[in-house]
Amino acid sequence: MVWLLAGLFLFPIILGLAGTVLPSIGWLPTIATGQGFSVILSDPRWLPAVALSLQTGIIATVLVLALTLLSLICVHDTRLWQWVSASLPPMLAVPHAAIAVGLLFLISPSGALVRLVSPELTGWARPPTQWVVPDANGWSLIIGLVIKETPFLLLAAVSQLQALNVDASLRIGRTLGYSPARCWSRLILPRLYPRIRLTLLIILAFNLTVVDMALLLGPGNPPTLSVLLMALVNDPDSRAAASAGALLLAGLVALCFALMYLLERWIAGVAARRRRSGARGQGFGVFRTLGQGVVLGLLLSCAASLVLLLMWSFTRRWRFPDAWPSEWTLQNWTSRADVLIDPAVTTLSIALTVALVSLVSAIMWLELERRALAPRIDGMWFLPLLIPQVSLLFGWQAVALWFGWDGHWWTVVYTHWLYTLPYVILILAVAWRELDPGWGHAAQVLGAGYWRVLWKIRLPLLLRPLCQAAAVAVAVSVAQYLPTLLLGAGRHQTLATELVTSFGGVDRRVIAALAVLQSLLPLLAFVMALLYPRWRMSRVQQHVKSINPQPVLP
Amino acid sequence: MQDELRIENLGLHLPTGQCLVQGLSFSIKAGQVLALMGPSGSGKSSILSWLTGTADARLHARGDIWLGSQQINNLPTEKRRLGLMLQQDYLFPHMSVGDNLHFGLRGGTRQSRNQRVSQSLIDAGLAGMEHRDPATLSGGQRARVSLIRTLLSDPCALLLDEPFSGLDTALREQIRRFTWTAAQNLPVLLVTHDLADVPAEAEIVTIGEPCSELDLTEPQVQ
Repeated sequence: MVWLLAGLFLFPIILGLAGTVLPSIGWLPTIATGQGFSVILSDPRWLPAVALSLQTGIIATVLVLALTLLSLICVHDTRLWQWVSASLPPMLAVPHAAIAVGLLFLISPSGALVRLVSPELTGWARPPTQWVVPDANGWSLIIGLVIKETPFLLLAAVSQLQALNVDASLRIGRTLGYSPARCWSRLILPRLYPRIRLTLLIILAFNLTVVDMALLLGPGNPPTLSVLLMALVNDPDSRAAASAGALLLAGLVALCFALMYLLERWIAGVAARRRRSGARGQGFGVFRTLGQGVVLGLLLSCAASLVLLLMWSFTRRWRFPDAWPSEWTLQNWTSRADVLIDPAVTTLSIALTVALVSLVSAIMWLELERRALAPRIDGMWFLPLLIPQVSLLFGWQAVALWFGWDGHWWTVVYTHWLYTLPYVILILAVAWRELDPGWGHAAQVLGAGYWRVLWKIRLPLLLRPLCQAAAVAVAVSVAQYLPTLLLGAGRHQTLATELVTSFGGVDRRVIAALAVLQSLLPLLAFVMALLYPRWRMSRVQQHVKSINPQPVLP
Repeated sequence: MQDELRIENLGLHLPTGQCLVQGLSFSIKAGQVLALMGPSGSGKSSILSWLTGTADARLHARGDIWLGSQQINNLPTEKRRLGLMLQQDYLFPHMSVGDNLHFGLRGGTRQSRNQRVSQSLIDAGLAGMEHRDPATLSGGQRARVSLIRTLLSDPCALLLDEPFSGLDTALREQIRRFTWTAAQNLPVLLVTHDLADVPAEAEIVTIGEPCSELDLTEPQVQ
């Protein structure tokens, strides 16, 4: 069973990488011909695309890290923290493509920000032409990536704070005379960083190689490297060049990982020397206010993007520079149901299946691990998140074509599973390993066998993390663009593929409806994951109330 | 009348090879209480874990467990029919009191099961609490529910691992009396470090004597 599960997981990764390597050197002639490396390296778009990918990926990652640390240092012990921590799950739930579309509605020349101040403050009666979104330098893409990825890193950091006993460290540091910022930088961050390093690497890999957000928010000429490779892979004559480019992109990501490691070592050395200086630091009133403002701005941008999506989906007429739509309608939903319903049903069927399969496989693995029948190899599960999607999926698609598996519904599900399982295992592993084995032993000595203990005791006790993991699996599956596009062979239109491929060619009000629908599915999953365990527990408590009614207060 | 619980030539060593117990043998007849006493870390709880088959797999253990004429060493935990009560009551929080008790029952028709649960609650002075959430019970009530859940599983012997140590002084005596009355037909192995927990007629076995370390280079026969 251990080998079967590990084999199923590693199969597309190993074959996918092989399927990318072989065509790039002309060893898979039925898929690709020619020497890929020479073609891609002589393409005039190659170097600008590499430069743009590095620029957007690295700047976005640095900003994500900076904003996460700023949130922790400036907001952690304030009232704003409640808002920040409560908003993380819904912000995480919203798919990348939907956030990108919402952001376009916010920051484009005809977007809400300009409308709010026009024409009174700007004098603009028409959308300005001084800037365009997406811009040539990739700043729109950087903003989109920062809005989407900061909650991910922040959530990873928040989950570690309790283990680090942050409050006690802050108290001790401050009684020794250190400013709060110094307490964080000298006492907490050196211990926190190693715990969020893997998440940061995943974010760096994603930012350098993202496709769907880059298609929506990135510049077109030159595009980012991953978008350029997408254009090449769709052309049979350029398949070898696309594979070679995908390998070079993987190399680029590995190079960035190495640079990050060296930078870490250097910063750690500097920080270690500074720790001995005894400098207590200054009060950080202004810095704190500034930090809170930036964090608030991030939250508001995300919220505004979602509100704009909702507004546009019900808009009949919204002329520039009106701040509000002049006419509302339901027609964007009702008259274009054909565009909305089929992709929604496909998305939902894939997401629910993937969530179920991911849960079952994660439970199987963690149970085998608990019974010492499987090794603890957490690193393996993160492979699909650290390898660029294009590098893996170009090859996996080639292999699927070779075997005639492409276009099948189960191939799409299998590929989504590859990307959801790491998150599901990550969420469940902590709860699984921390559950007191005494619960199982107590049930066993009462005569319950393995399956009864699992079904009646362990799973109900772990209901909350199970529901959370299922919701995350649904959210990750709903957001998958590239796996659906490449492995679905155009036969399975999901909300993600419809949204990205229709953008620019379809009425923005229908695009908004698609984005709203794509956001609603994971949000609903998160709400259900929150409410279902409470409802289950309240059933027992309702019995208590019915037997011992509470006295009615006057 | 239940069978005798017999332990023969028990040897327990930590994964490091450190000896906890060597050559320990004893038997407990039905209705008899044997108290296992010793300082902290002497291996009292490890002996109970080994008896129930829930010990850490890295523990080096040898010896035989007999329940009457049946050797139960190689049976899975759920088939050994050794009831266990710990300091923590492990009432399943997602089940009502009644569901917890039903979980302990083996076989029977629906009607007979309901009747046994209701009767056991009445006997324990907990009548009408079947639908209560365990979280709303007092410490003494929880201890009683935990004990009757164990007894409803029809154990052939009862193992008690400091079951009274989490209770306050007044409650402790009450639960002790309840336990000895409820378990009067079973062989009972009590692990405690408090002499006041031990009934007057109980036999006492003390462990914690130094014994020889295990040679970890030798192949072990489990």
